[in-house]
Amino acid sequence: MKILIINIRILREIVILVTLSFLAGFSYTFVTKKGFFSNKEDNRILEIINLEKAKELHFSKKAIFIDSRHEFEYNMGHIEDAINIPLSRFNEYKNKLEEIPKSNILVVYCDGTECNSSFELGAKLFDSGYKNVRIFYGGWEEWKKNKLPTIPKN
Amino acid sequence: MKFKTPKFSIKSFLSSPVASLLCRLVLGAVFLVASIDKILDTNGFITSILNYKVIGSTFATLTATFLPWLELFCGVCLILGIYPRASSILISIMLFAFTILVASALIRGLDISCGCFSQDPSAEKIGYQKIAENLILLALGLYLIVTKDYGPSVSNFMLGSITTEYY
Repeated sequence: MKILIINIRILREIVILVTLSFLAGFSYTFVTKKGFFSNKEDNRILEIINLEKAKELHFSKKAIFIDSRHEFEYNMGHIEDAINIPLSRFNEYKNKLEEIPKSNILVVYCDGTECNSSFELGAKLFDSGYKNVRIFYGGWEEWKKNKLPTIPKN
Repeated sequence: MKFKTPKFSIKSFLSSPVASLLCRLVLGAVFLVASIDKILDTNGFITSILNYKVIGSTFATLTATFLPWLELFCGVCLILGIYPRASSILISIMLFAFTILVASALIRGLDISCGCFSQDPSAEKIGYQKIAENLILLALGLYLIVTKDYGPSVSNFMLGSITTEYY
């Protein structure tokens, strides 16, 4: 009986802590306009797109593709019309962005599902003022596998 | 005249309030510090969660809304000795989940930043060292769940006794 009472006491404490965290979290994000309450413009949640969406943006020329891989990987092969901004050398390469208006849609990709430089570069681009950043999750591997336009040609 | 030197054993140390107090302070401080950047950079933390490629953006936003505060409250409660067992249970559950998450990301070959103490994408990459750190902290958390004497606490100082005891 004693154990049961203590367990209920601990359970009650756990419920109090979790409830307080929810209340504090929602109140804080509501006041500071973050998370669920942030303006979409300021919300750095990068949209992940699949191959179909990436193809649509590529062929309609509505987006600029950015390759976040190393320069030598880019030179070995990349998506047609993509520009290279290696994540590790972002500061040296970011002058390439000067000609691109901030309102443009940028599609960032890296090797494929196992790399993460596209996400990290996407976050840096977002923080640089590009609010329409998309992450092409399948990346170079998926694009190449589907025999889509590449440089050099497939 | 013969003097008896007091015997020191690990078992007696582990059952002492000093050991629980040390564990409480270490674990509490780690969670308190870890929560600060996550609270200040909610959107960065959402991106860090999404990097693990396990959950979608809605659930990631929900997690980023309440998890840092849970870390903060549990950390503060452990340091102050308020609800020590409940805080230890919650912290151990979180550490267990974080360890599984990091291990699964490593198995999948993801090269991502941990998002543990800083939301800067280039800070603190995940690795086996992170799993080892988590397991050490998890051991402290599990010890605090089973310990009976939590040592000095704010609530008990206010009530006049010295230690918080569970049975």
